[in-house]
Amino acid sequence: MIEQLQKLPGVGPKTAQRLALHILNRSEDEVQGIAQALIDAKKQVGFCQTCFHLSAQSTCEICRNRDRDSSTICVVSDSRDVIALEKTREYDGKYHVLGGVISPMDGIGPEQLHIQPLVRRASTPEVREVILAISPSVEGETTTLYLGQLLKPFTKVTRIAFGLPMGGDLEYADEVTLARALEGRRELD
Amino acid sequence: MYLKSLHLNRFRNYRDREVQFDAQKTIVVGNNAQGKSNLLEAVELLATLKSHRTSRDRDLVRDGDEIARVSATVKRSYGETDMAITLRKQGRRVVTRNSENLRRQMDFLGAINAVQFSSLDLDLVRGSPDTRRSWVDGLLIQLEPVYAYILQQYNNVLRQRNALLKKIRNLEENPPSRELTAQLALWDAQLAAHGSRVTRRRARVLERLAPIAQSWHQQISGETEVLEIKYAPNVARSQDDPEQVQQAFLEKIQQRRVAEQNLGTTVVGPHRDEVDLIINHTPARSYGSQGQQRTLVLALKLAELKLIEEVIGEPPLLLLDDVLAELDPNRQNQLLEAIQDRFQTIITTTHIHSFDDQWLQNSQILTVEAGEIHPFVPNI
Repeated sequence: MIEQLQKLPGVGPKTAQRLALHILNRSEDEVQGIAQALIDAKKQVGFCQTCFHLSAQSTCEICRNRDRDSSTICVVSDSRDVIALEKTREYDGKYHVLGGVISPMDGIGPEQLHIQPLVRRASTPEVREVILAISPSVEGETTTLYLGQLLKPFTKVTRIAFGLPMGGDLEYADEVTLARALEGRRELD
Repeated sequence: MYLKSLHLNRFRNYRDREVQFDAQKTIVVGNNAQGKSNLLEAVELLATLKSHRTSRDRDLVRDGDEIARVSATVKRSYGETDMAITLRKQGRRVVTRNSENLRRQMDFLGAINAVQFSSLDLDLVRGSPDTRRSWVDGLLIQLEPVYAYILQQYNNVLRQRNALLKKIRNLEENPPSRELTAQLALWDAQLAAHGSRVTRRRARVLERLAPIAQSWHQQISGETEVLEIKYAPNVARSQDDPEQVQQAFLEKIQQRRVAEQNLGTTVVGPHRDEVDLIINHTPARSYGSQGQQRTLVLALKLAELKLIEEVIGEPPLLLLDDVLAELDPNRQNQLLEAIQDRFQTIITTTHIHSFDDQWLQNSQILTVEAGEIHPFVPNI
């Protein structure tokens, strides 16, 4: 059991041992409940047919929500990013989850990502803007460049700004972030 | 800057040893394979997060142990800093500064600066271009820690682009599909963007280093020889303008397109740079005796010291690993004169008698035997 638990992200040998001992100390019913919850989730949760966010139904809650603005699509690399962006409550458009970033080393090219469905969505007249919100790693940047070229003929394409965290002092920002923030500077309105 | 103390815990052949440095010069005496170089390696690790002897952390952990720790207290003009690195046989290293865990390794760099000089450094003259590139990179990381990040990003682009080129070659479609060509174009752009950063910084540091090395070389060789250091970037550039350099990259990539696709690997970029060392218009590699090559390496090392001092505003540490005995008395004296009492120097040697008395004056002398460090007691 310890070995199985160690396969989970963020769980090392010590945590795995602690979890295992904890599980052994619980009643059988309780353990059954945990196991059932895991299996149910795995069985029921799949991907939204439209945006590929995690969803128990064929269309996710966000895509079904009529109050949300369907003229903007925010493109992210995985479902965790959707959850992070949703917490901000700033964005009321739709999403599109790519399922990764372009990385030839891992054998991931555009065809392995949910890009074709994105192109189909972006080419409908309803969509007026695609926002690219992909991490600025080397692979993420390449994916952003790729999508930019691909989607530009169909609609307006923007990318989120990168720069200084709120509440942070300029002098504490690292050089990389600062250089990027300078690159993306803009005129005061 | 001054390294006050160094604590080695389960590092290499040391079980648990702390050294207090109490003089500007410390001479570490011991037979081979007792742990002298390991001591200097620990300082190198604190300065650069790298060891020139291994790239695997598990080599640094003592046999039979899982975790090693190297910590030190450094005195700088702005105050004292405690530095520590925890190394694991398996798993990631953790770096701390004043007991605070650092999320990014880059933030660890810059607290200790050091120049290491060992007999292996003759490879700078005789070795492959790769040796000279990593020398320049090591120096740059100490001067501009952000360069560590830039270089890492470039290497990442390089690996990704190579993977794609290999895929294109293995598919044997000629010419490659439009889809793949489009993907490659993206990596071309990334290579140009990241590669130009590497190239520009290397050019900049060599431009500053060259005149200092030249003047040292002239002084040591008795003004008879002229040293030139020429950066020979794989992608030649006419101006230092970022866009121009990127453009030059893209043009060269275009020229070498067929070759790259046949080889399945990237042949354009700073991973193919060279630094030419030229004495009296002749490549130093094919020039002259071992003594002359040693003079050259000594000049390069002294130039590094001066340049770091100039940029950082404080004299860095000098680590002399078993190299002093190889220098003749004249060069030993040149070196002594150059460092005077300004640079804290840690020297390892197998024989205390191999150098001049001047070196022993005001020096702290330690002996190392099988991972134990003791003050030196002269045999009377």
